[in-house]
Amino acid sequence: MSDTIRHRLTPLEKSERRLGFAMLAPAFLLLAAVVLYPIVELIRNSFHFNHLAQPWMGTPFVGFENYVKALGDDRFHEAVLHTVLYVLVTVPGAVVIGLGLALLANQPFSVKWPVRLGLLLPWALPLVFAGLIFRWFFEYNQGIANAMLRGLGLEPLNWLTSPGLAFFAICLAIIWKSSSFVALVLLAGLQTIPKSFYEAAEVDGATKWQQFREITLPMLRPAIFVALIFRTITAIQTFDIPYAMTNGGPGNSTETLAMYIHKTTVDFLDLGYGSALAVLMFIVSAVITSVYLRHTRRDPGRH
Amino acid sequence: MQVLKNRRAMIILAGLIVAANGFFPALWILFTSFKTEVELMRVPITIIPQAPTIENYIRVFVDQPILRFLFNSVVVAVLSTLLCVTCSALAAYALVRLRLPGAGVILSVLLAIAMFPLISMMVPLFQVMRDLGLLNTWWALIFPHAVLSMPVCTLVLISFFQDIPRDLENAAMIDGCTRLGALWHVVIPLTAPGVFTAGILAFVNSWDEFLLALTLSPRVASRTLPVGITLYQGEFSFPWPIISAALIVAIVPICIVIAIFQERVVSGLTSGGVKG
Repeated sequence: MSDTIRHRLTPLEKSERRLGFAMLAPAFLLLAAVVLYPIVELIRNSFHFNHLAQPWMGTPFVGFENYVKALGDDRFHEAVLHTVLYVLVTVPGAVVIGLGLALLANQPFSVKWPVRLGLLLPWALPLVFAGLIFRWFFEYNQGIANAMLRGLGLEPLNWLTSPGLAFFAICLAIIWKSSSFVALVLLAGLQTIPKSFYEAAEVDGATKWQQFREITLPMLRPAIFVALIFRTITAIQTFDIPYAMTNGGPGNSTETLAMYIHKTTVDFLDLGYGSALAVLMFIVSAVITSVYLRHTRRDPGRH
Repeated sequence: MQVLKNRRAMIILAGLIVAANGFFPALWILFTSFKTEVELMRVPITIIPQAPTIENYIRVFVDQPILRFLFNSVVVAVLSTLLCVTCSALAAYALVRLRLPGAGVILSVLLAIAMFPLISMMVPLFQVMRDLGLLNTWWALIFPHAVLSMPVCTLVLISFFQDIPRDLENAAMIDGCTRLGALWHVVIPLTAPGVFTAGILAFVNSWDEFLLALTLSPRVASRTLPVGITLYQGEFSFPWPIISAALIVAIVPICIVIAIFQERVVSGLTSGGVKG
């Protein structure tokens, strides 16, 4: 029916369209109020001087001054470097561990809830709680990490007060916290692979490793891609876990870009400069989000 | 026979590894929460509390208004979930059913906007909420938290709505229902598991959110649980048994929620990412 009148809308279709846009309105109104307006304000702020500790200066327009300042700001460069390192370590780390957990969880268990809850608990735990728990693990005197080292007859380590070790401890916490989400996504992917593929491979004499490389990994590619993108988008914004574990220390050695933006605005009260940094961060994550959206773009009405 | 037995043992071992990985940190905190500071100092460390005490739990309720934090968290999470699911359901239905031109593009735009990094919105949101006099109120968190979960809720609901045959709504509309009436009386009841799933995901996201809760509710009485828990640490002291007890008090509600709804949560998390 719709083929013959493709270019002329019937009154019913017209009213459906009107209703459709009306139904989209609440979502977009909310987005406009909570995201779009703040983003416009953010960009405007970033071109102005706005320091709450120097109210007598007013908020004059300064052009790209805040952005130029970022170019020469070592602490900003370090924060970017740390953020990139967190992404490079924790995204592949969480995907590898998550894949391992998913493979272990994809077994015919007679009792399912311990495994399911074992995957859900780390996901449902607030990031800050995970950070606090791991801070406790890596505590010098009473923490479990040093207790194990002592048990092995080794010297205890200053986990959270030496830069390299603190970075390692934070990465471990992030990987533990995020790998369970990856595992849940990959587990769903694993369950879509037909059993017959493995049976056929078995008949052909393929080893378990060959089956994993030739069947599991290729079939899991879309799920791995989704997990990678989601993890990357959140890893760029890393804040809660280092905040809870080291608050960026020792020095600024574990400080992420999000933490530096937070400190610049909330602690140092420099809204103009903090806004410029936030705009830079927003551009990076917009690029990565667009990669994800290009991958998943589809028409929800057609199926 | 031996092979079969080995295989069963391997399966159980696999399950144990996954469960231990998930439960161990919470269990460790649980044990710590029943220990005294003195026992904590012991070398080598103890695992099971030697002289269990509930002193730490009493301190949790005396030192900070944790019930107030809990109440704030519940109100913010429930109201932001209702708002998020309502907006997402209307949008998802319009995109799936109402033959809108460029529905795919509209969905992409919606997802792209809702995925902006929170840290970028933090400062302007602070200014907006301050100007509106909403700082330290639940509303300052309810609106942003609703947006936080909009992408996943919309994707989950789209995938559920797509499975409902059009004929069911058409029949309802022939019987005199409007479009919205058909959505409310036919589609929503049939996709209740999906709506429910979206709701749980939104609830957990709001419950866990830290950055905005930290920034937009500076007053102690308006803190949510994740932020409130960080108040148990002193400037130089870290009373681990008390912090552990506070963590346990804060973790229990969310554990109950995910234990009751575990299957829904799993299907929701995965349908948003893989299927949707």
